[in-house]
Amino acid sequence: MHPRYYLDADIFEREQRKIFRKVWLFAGLKTLLTQHNAFITRKIAGIPVVIQNFHGELRAFENVCLHRNALIQTEPVGRRPLVCAYHAWRYDDRGQVTNIPDEDAVYRFSPEEKCGLKLKRFALRSLGNLLFINLDTSPFPLEEQFSPEFIALLESSSNAYDTEVMVTTWRGNYNWKLAYENLRDANHARFVHSKSLAKVVDFRPSVDEVLLQESSQALPDSSTGALRDELRRFSYGGKDAAIDNMQHPSWHALVERWGQEDAYYNWLAYPNLHIASGNGGHSFTIEHHVPVAPGCTDLEVYRFTAKKRQPFAFSNSVLLAEMHGSKLVVGEDIQILEMVQSALHDAAPLPTQGAYESLNRLVERWYETLMETEHGV
Amino acid sequence: MACKWIIGAGAPLDLAYDICRSAHPELHVEIIAVPQNGKYEFELGTLDALQPASGTAFAAFDERFGNFKRMELMSALIERGFQLEPLISPRAMLATGVQVGPNALIGDGVTIGPGSRIGYNSVLLPGTHLGMGTLIHPSCWLETGVIVGNGVQIGKHCTLRSGALIAHGVQVGRHCELGWPQRYDKHIAPKTIFDGRYDAPIYTYEN
Repeated sequence: MHPRYYLDADIFEREQRKIFRKVWLFAGLKTLLTQHNAFITRKIAGIPVVIQNFHGELRAFENVCLHRNALIQTEPVGRRPLVCAYHAWRYDDRGQVTNIPDEDAVYRFSPEEKCGLKLKRFALRSLGNLLFINLDTSPFPLEEQFSPEFIALLESSSNAYDTEVMVTTWRGNYNWKLAYENLRDANHARFVHSKSLAKVVDFRPSVDEVLLQESSQALPDSSTGALRDELRRFSYGGKDAAIDNMQHPSWHALVERWGQEDAYYNWLAYPNLHIASGNGGHSFTIEHHVPVAPGCTDLEVYRFTAKKRQPFAFSNSVLLAEMHGSKLVVGEDIQILEMVQSALHDAAPLPTQGAYESLNRLVERWYETLMETEHGV
Repeated sequence: MACKWIIGAGAPLDLAYDICRSAHPELHVEIIAVPQNGKYEFELGTLDALQPASGTAFAAFDERFGNFKRMELMSALIERGFQLEPLISPRAMLATGVQVGPNALIGDGVTIGPGSRIGYNSVLLPGTHLGMGTLIHPSCWLETGVIVGNGVQIGKHCTLRSGALIAHGVQVGRHCELGWPQRYDKHIAPKTIFDGRYDAPIYTYEN
């Protein structure tokens, strides 16, 4: 795509508005929210969000107190009632203010004013243990964004997730779209990861003749329905490549593996979620690329095993070793992405993409339609 | 002459050997290298020739895998009937009454304040400084230059890298790695990792 799509602040604002505040986005893990008042907080498309368990029901609200705009929940993960620490305003499971200390004496709100004190609530869906949020006031059905097959895969695989989760964030100087163009590019692994991942897995690029033909043409229909149909095929997953002679460290026997194949699994959920299992379903990584600015992306990385058969003392060391593995491989990607980003300027040459990159080209024509026209999803 | 076997791999073997030679000149000190196979399992065949009853042993291994590999080696030695004792450098300065558990190593120049306790299998590399009333739980690894304040508690299987300064009274949960050279002045949740290669701490959440 033209370099401006990776550099321009106006484009960034437009994609936040037309994509990130319209479509369903990964919001977190249900495994962290099993108890009453357990919560997670995120900043999604620039909006602080809290997702909290209210007696078993998960709800998402804007995490900003209606009194003085303080964050209500301040930790990334925790367990406490929905009470602002600034002046102790308390909210219920509908986001309604239920208690304001010394309300009559110092605030003197009328009943109508108090009734109107309600947090903005967002649509929330769970697919297995994965939570998806939609920030739009009239969200379109999640089933129009993801195919039934993809939904079934996400549900099945994420139900295998364990509840011990390791999380960190890596800030990178690249545009979030570069990460997904790279993830859809099966040809990069043997060059970028020649000393790491490619020694274990042989990713083979292939040419899809139908997609190739299609990607050379303009998008035939830019109606909302057609754009949603097109969006649906950008999310896919499953077995990506077989792993010959896969190593089985002792901890593999201590978890309930998802699936039975010695394979590398990948799931890509448009726009910014990547899930992988590089050891045949014994453990998983979630990579959530959160756009911060045109040239800046926060990569939130989650690491967890498949469900443990029973707790074992060194489980955290397993996760840390896996996290370091991610750091190595994804670090190789980030190094390339930052190099690409740093070379971009308004008059930089347009990419010369090959036949195997047809899916990236399909995403690009859809994305450009959204950015350059009034059409949307 | 009674034997002291320093059993393990890597640099800790030499470190423990030197300390043992200077702390116990009366003993016959011998290094027994234990290799690891491709799956990182210890190959313990070299131990078959030893008679556990004729000496004591020390499991010397580094902090990898959250100090679990050293504990695994230590457990294997106990299973084979070896008696394990702490190794304390004669050049360390321990206040009276400091307790040191089996297979713990106290290196040259380490200072430990009164009332402190060092759990089994913990390693204090040369130049570590511990204040009064500190509690280092088992299987920890404290590198040169670490400073631990009075009353600090370090949970089991923690790794403290060079430059970590733990303020008085701080409690560090189990399985933490404090790898950023900085002052840590708040309690640290279990399984929190500060690794110099990362922009942000690594947190672990579990229900």
